[in-house]
Amino acid sequence: MQGNNSVILAIETSCDETAAAVVCGGKIVSNVVATQAVHAQYGGIVPELAARAHQQRLIPVVEQAMKKANVTLSRLNAVAFTQGPGLLGALLVGISFAKAVAFSLDIPLIAVHHMRAHILSNFIEAPYPTFPLLGLNVSGGHTQLIFAKDHMCMEVIGETQDDAIGEAFDKIGKLMGLSYPGGALIDRYAQQGDPHRFQFPATNMPHLNFSFSGIKTAFLRLLDEYQSKDVQFLAKHRNDLCASIQATLIGMLLDKLKKAVSQTGIKTIAIAGGVAANSGLRSRLQHLARQEGWAVFIPQLAYCTDNAAMIAITAHYQYLSGDFCDLKVTARSRMPL
Amino acid sequence: MHLPSFTLCSTLDNLPATAETLLRHAGGTKVWLLEGAMGAGKTTVIRALCARLGVLDNVTSPTFSLVHEYAMVSGEAVYHFDFYRTCREEEALDLDCMTYFESGSYCFVEWPNKVANLIPPAHCKVRLAVQPDGSRIFYFQLDEDNPLAYKERLTT
Repeated sequence: MQGNNSVILAIETSCDETAAAVVCGGKIVSNVVATQAVHAQYGGIVPELAARAHQQRLIPVVEQAMKKANVTLSRLNAVAFTQGPGLLGALLVGISFAKAVAFSLDIPLIAVHHMRAHILSNFIEAPYPTFPLLGLNVSGGHTQLIFAKDHMCMEVIGETQDDAIGEAFDKIGKLMGLSYPGGALIDRYAQQGDPHRFQFPATNMPHLNFSFSGIKTAFLRLLDEYQSKDVQFLAKHRNDLCASIQATLIGMLLDKLKKAVSQTGIKTIAIAGGVAANSGLRSRLQHLARQEGWAVFIPQLAYCTDNAAMIAITAHYQYLSGDFCDLKVTARSRMPL
Repeated sequence: MHLPSFTLCSTLDNLPATAETLLRHAGGTKVWLLEGAMGAGKTTVIRALCARLGVLDNVTSPTFSLVHEYAMVSGEAVYHFDFYRTCREEEALDLDCMTYFESGSYCFVEWPNKVANLIPPAHCKVRLAVQPDGSRIFYFQLDEDNPLAYKERLTT
């Protein structure tokens, strides 16, 4: 029962993905996200969203995670779940399950903050960043700059005041007639385009905050203006439009990151969230790392999008520090760090 | 007899005053539908309405998370929905949106056409249209079957 040999089952049901993972002594030994294969195995049409879907998927997902990890319930030292932020109904499915496991096995229950876990996804595989670090959560639902003093002590120092950056990518894709979510397609076309061909007015928010709503409207207006003069405009300039808007969005992100680095003096950067897959963000971060002497960490993509491995690794550190909760714990849709 | 509906033109700079006007005409209606193309400013208008209602939380887009819950200074909840990603009405039912709509709390709904059959009769609608100069025209309407609208007609 030593802390560093602890076996913990972790559940993640905060939004669309149903996920479970097992961490053993700080090492992820299984990580399962509900996929079509799981659906097929258990039959039935599973709606994409919400609680009922989680309820249908959770048991098979947990069973797979336990099987892959080759552990039985009796081996578990603790069970962890995502407490928030997220969809209330969806979170409750995970919480109820975790409480039942903790109660029946009489083991500690660990409540994990989803956004803290995203930052700690950088501690799943070596090389690990060192503290203090600046975290950048970039996804369809979040855009946050986080100051992390250690594994447990984190503070949001900047965040979006309207749309998340992934949402901006996806919606601009939609404005260009790309299928939703179109962020990945924008990235692909951008690689063949000229990022300086079109200028968009980047919104500069006070402090370290972001705003990605205005640029979406600016893009729409530019598109309308040119398209009214030439109906072929979009078709002719798709790659340049993608490259230009991507460069602008990433630039807005990196401007704030640079500002955060100069304000804090911290040069260790940990990226998390699905937008970490963006090739423009990756190459410009690598460039900045060389130019500014930053140490930049980006987890592999499976750990960037919503997953339970990050919940498990966070639970591991909470286990080490004895950060448990009782059975009265409840879900929180809005949850400060 | 005409329904309380009106049109006003506003820039986004003038939003606090516009929000106040809209709230006054809604006469206590709690379910608000926000219509308008992407980029029209639905979330921005909801932020202004929330500010006017005394919401202290950061009002952000719920496109990814589907619903955000905010608290007014009084502690009362305000719900902010976005059905942009919703494909079928059952998905909204799974979210238990009816319970929210009937809760008596303010519910601001973006992309309500995705869940047209689930909208309660007592609602009001704000449609945003972007003008070439960047200003917005607000079309405000209380629904015909809205009992609050009926009451307003009797008293005005």
